[in-house]
Amino acid sequence: MLINLLRTHRWIRVSLSGLSVALLLGGVGLVGYPFFTNAWQGRIQAELDDQLVSPELQQAYKERKVETGDSLTRIRIPALDVDVVVVEGITPSALRAGAGHYPATALPCEGGNVAIAGHRTTYGRPFGNLDQLKAGDTIDLITPIGACQYKITKNPWVVQPTELGIIAPTEDKVVTLTTCHPKGSAAERLVVQGTWVQDIKAA
Amino acid sequence: MRMFRRTGAIALAALVVSAFMVVPSPASAQTVQTRAESFIATASARALNLSILNLNVTVGGSGIQMTSAPAGKATGAGVLLAPGTISTVEATTAGQALAPPKACVVDLPLLNLIDVELACGEARVDTNPGGPQTFGRGSVAAINVGGQQILALLAPVLDVLTPLLDQVLGTVQPVLGSLLGNLTGPLLTQLNVDPNTGLVSSLVDGLKQATQLATIRLGDSTSQGITEPGKITATANAQGGQIDVLPGLALGGAPLLSIVVGSAKATSVFDRAGGTSTPGFDAAILTVKLGLPILGGVTEIPVKLGAPLTLLAGTPLESTIALGAGTTTRNPDGSVSSVADGVKIHLLKGISGGILLELAHAESSIGGNTQLVEQQKIVEPVAQLAKTGGDPWVPMAGFVLLLAAFTTRRLVVARPSGNRRPADH
Repeated sequence: MLINLLRTHRWIRVSLSGLSVALLLGGVGLVGYPFFTNAWQGRIQAELDDQLVSPELQQAYKERKVETGDSLTRIRIPALDVDVVVVEGITPSALRAGAGHYPATALPCEGGNVAIAGHRTTYGRPFGNLDQLKAGDTIDLITPIGACQYKITKNPWVVQPTELGIIAPTEDKVVTLTTCHPKGSAAERLVVQGTWVQDIKAA
Repeated sequence: MRMFRRTGAIALAALVVSAFMVVPSPASAQTVQTRAESFIATASARALNLSILNLNVTVGGSGIQMTSAPAGKATGAGVLLAPGTISTVEATTAGQALAPPKACVVDLPLLNLIDVELACGEARVDTNPGGPQTFGRGSVAAINVGGQQILALLAPVLDVLTPLLDQVLGTVQPVLGSLLGNLTGPLLTQLNVDPNTGLVSSLVDGLKQATQLATIRLGDSTSQGITEPGKITATANAQGGQIDVLPGLALGGAPLLSIVVGSAKATSVFDRAGGTSTPGFDAAILTVKLGLPILGGVTEIPVKLGAPLTLLAGTPLESTIALGAGTTTRNPDGSVSSVADGVKIHLLKGISGGILLELAHAESSIGGNTQLVEQQKIVEPVAQLAKTGGDPWVPMAGFVLLLAAFTTRRLVVARPSGNRRPADH
């Protein structure tokens, strides 16, 4: 019946054909979204790699004038095989680099709480396996002017997105990593904290 | 087959279009008005500055300079005239830790005037995170002021005495008094010469036996710049020492004159949180011991600040000792400096101008600006922890759309039931 109707009314057939194309475009776009973000993040990281070692950024870092979206530090988590450049800022556009530094928190390797947010399922998912970290694992931060190592003090735990206390200033040198939880959702946040162990030579 | 080709073409187009849909815009530049912390700190100390026969020698010198760049320079010198005793190091970029080996020279004669037993210079700089840190040290074991040129200083005394060589000492007492003042008695006693029977030649021979005029033992001179989380400190410290004039001349082997100088310390501190600088000093403490038997053995003489002490006045051995003060200065730009002056000693003024020594001098300065604290940054307040997770409905919705697209397409390409081509037989 419906098919006969399509045969007798050409405009219906054309409309449905156009609709199917639109649905296909949208479907492929949505399904492929994580893959596109990963590819894009890889492209950004290549640029950030170069920027991190540039004299201009080193000067900006010394003057604390690193702008949102620019390279700030490299984070290495040997236990997760993570090695990415962290940018300044946690705006959505900045976080397309994969990981971003909360601007109101301390700079890496300096006194206070250094807070870094990272994607878990998209944009290279640098913190995709953050839940697998455990106390004793190390986190290295390599800035344009130095490097230091932190040691995780306790296993990851989950907080509500509004629990800002975990990125509040501290007297000790602390690093705080946050990512969304559970995977694919932004309902909660997974947190990992480590304390400064030593300054290291940047490799 | 045609349907597969068309579907493939559409899928390819979808990939291209959706790639543009998800390509992010460049990160927006957010102007964050901050001011980096800046500071400059200096410190220098010298254990001894010696001026003799128009020769100036600085012994035991050190100095540092460091800035917030971070950069630092440090110098340590056993003797500033002797390159082998000088260590200098400079770091101009972050992440440097430089510590060259100590520069030392054993038994260093200088122009036949002085002999330095062991002189060393040491310097270190570290600009790694948490820094900068700088350190300089100059040290000497001992200095002997002697040699033929120094002994020649006694020539005027000997010249006056030479025409009187064969005369009995007692007969030339006025001449001896004008030359040696109240030292005449102790000297003769020390040399075992009887004024009533001894000849002037005995006294001259005794004076000629002198091997050195003074022995100086000095403490280290250190300059240090230390960066800590709450403050930055520039410290200069000259640890003083002891000067023995005509060692072994007086009774019991004691020197004629012994001058003990305490340490002089100048400190300048920059408070990183408050941005204020504070100067401070500890001036040298001085003790003078006179080994004249006529004064009843070794006598300790106090020296008051601002009141120079003159010993053996009226004789060729006249010496003046002035105890330096300490000062602090606060400049309009907030920087401060401090000086801990040590001791200025003018020995044997009556002999060719004598020997001028300045001991234990330390000075330091510091100034800077604090880093603007985070609250002053133009930063959007964080309402919640950063959202870094995807929306789980996105891929699911994608599959639903794909299913709908497939179904719709099937409807379009399906043939009406009454129009089907009969099967071939």
